[in-house]
Amino acid sequence: MSFTGTPGAAQERPGPQEPSVSRGRATAAAAIELSDISMVFGSNRALDSVSLRIGQGEVVGLLGQNGSGKSTLVKVLAGVNTPEPGGRLLVSGQEVPLPVPPGQASEIGLSFVYQNLALAAGLSVLENLTLGQRVSRGTRAWAPINWMGEHRRAAAVLDRYQVRLDLDQLTGDLQPVDQARLAIVRAAEDLRRYRARTGAEHSVLVLDEPTVFLPEEEVDRLFDLVRTVVAEGAAVLFISHDLAAVREITDRVVVLRDGKVVAEVATGEINEHELVDLIVGASARPAETALDEHALVAEVLGVAPTGTGGPEAAPGLREDIVVEHLTDGRLADLSFHIGAGEILGVAGLIGSGAEDLPYLLFGAHQAASGTMRLGDQTLEIAGLSPQRSVRQRIALVPADRTVQGLSQGLTLWENITMLVEDDHYRAGVFRRGELVKIAREAVDRFLIRPSQTHSLASTFSGGNQQKALLAKWLLAQPRLLLLHEPTQGVDVGARRDIYRFVKSAADSSQMAVLWVTTEFGELAEICDRVIVLTQGRQTATLTGEELTEEEISAAALRQTREVR
Amino acid sequence: MSAPQEAAPVDADHQEERAASLPKTPLGRRLGLQRYAIVIVFALMILAFGLDIPSTFMSVGNLSNILGGQAVLFILVMAVLLPTIMGDFVDLSLGSSLGLSAMTLAVLNVQHNTNVVVACLAGIGAALVVGLINVFFVVYFDNDPFIVTLGTMTIVQGVIYIISGDNSVGIVSTGLSNWVFSDDFLSIPLEFYYGLAIFLVVWYVLSFTPTGQKALVIGQSREVARLSGIRVNRQRSFAFIIGAGIAGIAGIAYAGTNGTVDPTAGSTLILPAFAAVFLGVTAIKPGRINALGALIAVYFLATGTAGLELLGTQSYLQQIFYGAALVAAITIPKVNRQRFFKRKRLA
Repeated sequence: MSFTGTPGAAQERPGPQEPSVSRGRATAAAAIELSDISMVFGSNRALDSVSLRIGQGEVVGLLGQNGSGKSTLVKVLAGVNTPEPGGRLLVSGQEVPLPVPPGQASEIGLSFVYQNLALAAGLSVLENLTLGQRVSRGTRAWAPINWMGEHRRAAAVLDRYQVRLDLDQLTGDLQPVDQARLAIVRAAEDLRRYRARTGAEHSVLVLDEPTVFLPEEEVDRLFDLVRTVVAEGAAVLFISHDLAAVREITDRVVVLRDGKVVAEVATGEINEHELVDLIVGASARPAETALDEHALVAEVLGVAPTGTGGPEAAPGLREDIVVEHLTDGRLADLSFHIGAGEILGVAGLIGSGAEDLPYLLFGAHQAASGTMRLGDQTLEIAGLSPQRSVRQRIALVPADRTVQGLSQGLTLWENITMLVEDDHYRAGVFRRGELVKIAREAVDRFLIRPSQTHSLASTFSGGNQQKALLAKWLLAQPRLLLLHEPTQGVDVGARRDIYRFVKSAADSSQMAVLWVTTEFGELAEICDRVIVLTQGRQTATLTGEELTEEEISAAALRQTREVR
Repeated sequence: MSAPQEAAPVDADHQEERAASLPKTPLGRRLGLQRYAIVIVFALMILAFGLDIPSTFMSVGNLSNILGGQAVLFILVMAVLLPTIMGDFVDLSLGSSLGLSAMTLAVLNVQHNTNVVVACLAGIGAALVVGLINVFFVVYFDNDPFIVTLGTMTIVQGVIYIISGDNSVGIVSTGLSNWVFSDDFLSIPLEFYYGLAIFLVVWYVLSFTPTGQKALVIGQSREVARLSGIRVNRQRSFAFIIGAGIAGIAGIAYAGTNGTVDPTAGSTLILPAFAAVFLGVTAIKPGRINALGALIAVYFLATGTAGLELLGTQSYLQQIFYGAALVAAITIPKVNRQRFFKRKRLA
């Protein structure tokens, strides 16, 4: 085995003076410049003539709420989305035809680090670091890998970015922040190799929500690395909800709202309060929301008990649910109550701990400590298990519909009646006919289409699967219904139906509902009260007039990284 | 063995289309041709052999041979079915459990003059111990069942060699062989009826009780089962243990049928047992592991091999029939005609 360097290493040698000679003019041009980018999904304008300019060595923050178009824009850069004709992309002053061919973004000097980091947990740090070289173009499938040489070069790479990691450690065993740093080093190294290969000066590292899972003291270590990457010559597009982080690391921020750029300011010239107003839009649509709510209530009253177990539905239990001192990983000493028949919303950005709440209260994940009072019973939350919760008539509608919610390989009726089938086994005979009949009724009541109880669950659309999942749990007549992202990937019509079913079930059987979602508009529309979590703590409670998407968003954003 | 017909969920428009196109589904599908495909092929096969060699194939002796001769395999198939249906594919150790049960019985009966009934119970007990060990390592420690049972299979095989001294052991008691093999009812050896009884119990529990329905959910999506409050691990444990117990009974049937127990008894039976279970997935309830399908599969394969044997073919041809039937049966339902041809046109 020879120890000669790879072709890539050989190309690194040409000094940095070469590009500056050949492209003196390019220094004036932006690293990348997008102009007039529009995207239309159905009737929804996800992006409306968006222009974005990132200068050489600049760190630009891209801000906006969920659905404001941030991800759509990033996907245009990554070549996943094809924008409407008329949009232009200039890279270092030169026009690049859109769409960017999928997977070819690295060929124009772009590199992405997404929230999930795209690291293989079962591989070593070294293997993850060199993964890109294994699959890049021009690699011969049978060329032997010189692992000792790779090891030396990788150590040099980590040194360059002042990141100290054990190259032979399993990536899954690293701290979350070190995983994020590894992913950033890998992307930055790809960019550096790109600059060396082509002699270009520009390159852009896109960081899409890299800090959400990190405790704040770790965020600083991540930012040291980002500054090193910038010093090496890359520009950075930083996408985040975390305003404190954005204010710390960026030179300039671009704010998107409803697919439009609403502001573009130097970070130093704006305070956090103004930034929040820009993101949520200070006084947008309060009247419209109120109207919706009235219409909804009328609708619910008009079609009385739809969602419950029919006329025999559990008569008013009228018991509050009180959660006290719930502590686990991200959640710190959380206490709240849900009234009988109340729909309590939980708002929180990703990483706030809100997304763990339904699973902890159901016992699907083990909590560290805390108690839950259901009527006259007090349960240790740490001692909950799904079996126990089902017996206590606690219901969980998980976000991952296809893996955790419905058994895709079973028929619709088998899924819907899963929780009640024990009641239909008498005298040694399994009354399948009765179950199918129950499922038929549920299909009618919950408007599941097509109404084929014998089709496999996998053949139904997302909205209909979600309605079936709701039907499955409501048939068990729960006292507490835990919902996590219940309208994720669900069309507007089904979404309306789901709101209606939950609301009328809560009203008619006095069922308590916990509704957890990052879609704050939904919380404003459906909930009686909303609590806001940041960094595992309850930082706000909103009721009545305050229940608007803007107020909830502002509360969730503003508290970020303020609670120390 | 989950076979989602449509990988991606279709949106509402597509569903309308599906609903509209429903009456246009092929006649064969509507009559459930796929679910009875093996039964039909089975009938055709009997007809063909019957016309070709009526005197030997269509005889009581041959029927008795087929039904009785496969009883041991059939009981083992029921054992294999239980863990497999819960998604714990491939409990490889069941073959060794069969061998261990048979060898324990033989050694106790011959070398220690133990009463044959006690020896039988000891054999089943030994198999149950293997099942418990599997539960401990697979369910309690959450290991891959394939790897664990590969290990326990090898260990149990070693134990069989130790207790047998690497010899075949003949059984003294004639009672056992009478109860199992020599006595008959309607010219069919009694062991067939034992197998049938076990089948009926397994079939009833899996098809007609909530327990069976829960087993199906566990096998299809363990996470859904867990979050629906089903005691996933308890049911899996029972499947391993009861499966091992049934394999123990198969071992006793084996000892009674053959009169001597060979140390390698179980290892030659386990793979055909899996073949029957997986072939059975294509029948009666397509896409699902089911007891009735497995019953049909066992005797479909047995009839095919018996017929070929009577035709005087070499035994290797029978092996090829066995393997080809399995591969063909699981593949043919997947050849979606339109998709197949579309892809060819594109190429």
